[in-house]
Amino acid sequence: MIHASQLASMQNRDGGWGYRGGSPSVTEPTCFALLALAAAGWGTATAAGVDWLKRRQRADGGWPPRDEVDQSTWVSALPLLLPPKLKEPLNIPRAVEWVSAQSGRESGWLYRLRLLLAGFGSDPQNANPGWPWYPGTAAWVAPTALTLLALEKIQREQPSKALEERCQGGRAYLRVRRCADGGWNHGSTRALGYDGPSYPETTGLALLALHGSPIPAQSMDMARRHYREARSMEALSWLTLGLAAHGEKAPPPADAPYPPRTTLDLALAVVAAAAPERGNIFLE
Amino acid sequence: MQGGPRITRRGYVAGLAGAALLERCAHRAPRRETQVAVVRLREYSQSIYDEVRRLIATFRLEVRGKRVVLKPNLVEYDPAAPINTHPAFVHAVLEAFRGLEPAEVRIAEGPGHRRGTLDLADAAGYFATIPRFEDLFTDLNLDEVAPVSLPNPHSKLRSLYLPKTILAADLIVSLPKMKTHHWVGATLSMKNFFGLVPGGVYGWPKNILHWAGIDECIADLYTLAPKTFAIVDGIVGMEGNGPIQGTAKAAGVLVAGHDLAAVDATCCRIMAIDPEQIGYLRLASQNGAARVVQTGETPESCRTPFQLLPEHSHLRLG
Repeated sequence: MIHASQLASMQNRDGGWGYRGGSPSVTEPTCFALLALAAAGWGTATAAGVDWLKRRQRADGGWPPRDEVDQSTWVSALPLLLPPKLKEPLNIPRAVEWVSAQSGRESGWLYRLRLLLAGFGSDPQNANPGWPWYPGTAAWVAPTALTLLALEKIQREQPSKALEERCQGGRAYLRVRRCADGGWNHGSTRALGYDGPSYPETTGLALLALHGSPIPAQSMDMARRHYREARSMEALSWLTLGLAAHGEKAPPPADAPYPPRTTLDLALAVVAAAAPERGNIFLE
Repeated sequence: MQGGPRITRRGYVAGLAGAALLERCAHRAPRRETQVAVVRLREYSQSIYDEVRRLIATFRLEVRGKRVVLKPNLVEYDPAAPINTHPAFVHAVLEAFRGLEPAEVRIAEGPGHRRGTLDLADAAGYFATIPRFEDLFTDLNLDEVAPVSLPNPHSKLRSLYLPKTILAADLIVSLPKMKTHHWVGATLSMKNFFGLVPGGVYGWPKNILHWAGIDECIADLYTLAPKTFAIVDGIVGMEGNGPIQGTAKAAGVLVAGHDLAAVDATCCRIMAIDPEQIGYLRLASQNGAARVVQTGETPESCRTPFQLLPEHSHLRLG
């Protein structure tokens, strides 16, 4: 039985969480642990966690993935997912500014012009700006979906036209990056003329990020199939949340769920378990 | 061949021919010799443990008291398809190195597309095959990192964050699957080092390597890890649309050596791929190609042409 207390017990003395119990605190599991504790209504431990994040926010507004890295990356979107009260101590406007300024290199005019001049034509997949994992690289499904969810939260809190435009672009990115089988993989739908297969975890995450948008029946079928065949807690959690975002309660898995291997797995499982009663914290 | 590899006259001559192949595209004359051993092994049976131990013994590796990291290739959840390095082979290498009394042998990998590395390893049979696998394993995607400079890079990278487990290793043993690759032609011991780059910093996929030049980054990573050894799992490899969507190809070989470029060039010849047409091998040879001393079987005697995508027909060894 997954419980928020497990997550709380994995908190490091410095207030953050590592990817696994006992490992040094880093940004991603700290954000997901805080999100999960909030989702489960677990009030303790969160102030120290937010303080850990506050101390690591960079001058540019973003966050590095870990202390050793001198660069803000995709993880900068994750603190924006926290409930308004929890993220109050953070400099959210600066973070939004940094996140909003990021986009996949492939959607930039320079790269698209180069492709055009080289005779490759215009690739419709490059028309919509998603978000990269690391600045200066291409956009991918997972960081785009998570950043979209984060900016939608900000948009609900403080609506702006510019943010809405970015969100629309993110949704369009996800729609065109759908695999031929209906699901989503990391973001490469076709290579050398061959269709790439979708993955369970990114299919669930993309469905969640596309909540409120019409989803083809083929995608829902693929998500159900992935749910039946998923081999990780991470995949089961994202698929549960993704299917629920489109009004479908995920059926119980055929086999016992796989154990949470990382803090991220555990946090996602807590969020997914809390969603039916307390609401989906990604969408609140 | 039974009883482990030995240097034969035929093998030595073949090795010299192989060396000449790499030398032709080298800017400098070869300065050193490097052994590459090829042994036949047709299946992942119990005999793999003895064969691998004998194979490693021929190299007289000095790892007593050292930290050894085994780097398999874990890509996808499918245990049936020949995508991942076979767990029985990895276990055999682990046991063989343990017999050499190192301070520690760890298994480490950072998959490029899928985030659940331990789940992936579980699905690929590693938990079932390797006792206490989880205790022995480091997910390089989530490991602590440190910045490393690239003094004379082939790629556009000037520095790179690398996992501390790798930086602290005395010997990194590349254990790839012998596969074709839809971007670079063949993925072998050098390309396997893409898994050293931490996804926790650069993401899934490690797209920074693509923008900086795939062949160039493969060559750069090869220079960053000077203490290396490789054993390529060519018992059953992958042909066609590798490294994920291809089909099984039984080459029935293990290929081993210290010099990853020499090992990969030998594998290419076994796969009937011209190593001179592989971009990263050309780049690696610019730093001074080694003179290959071929032991065991010759690549020619083990030649098993791997099916290539039409786009890669120019790679075929004449």
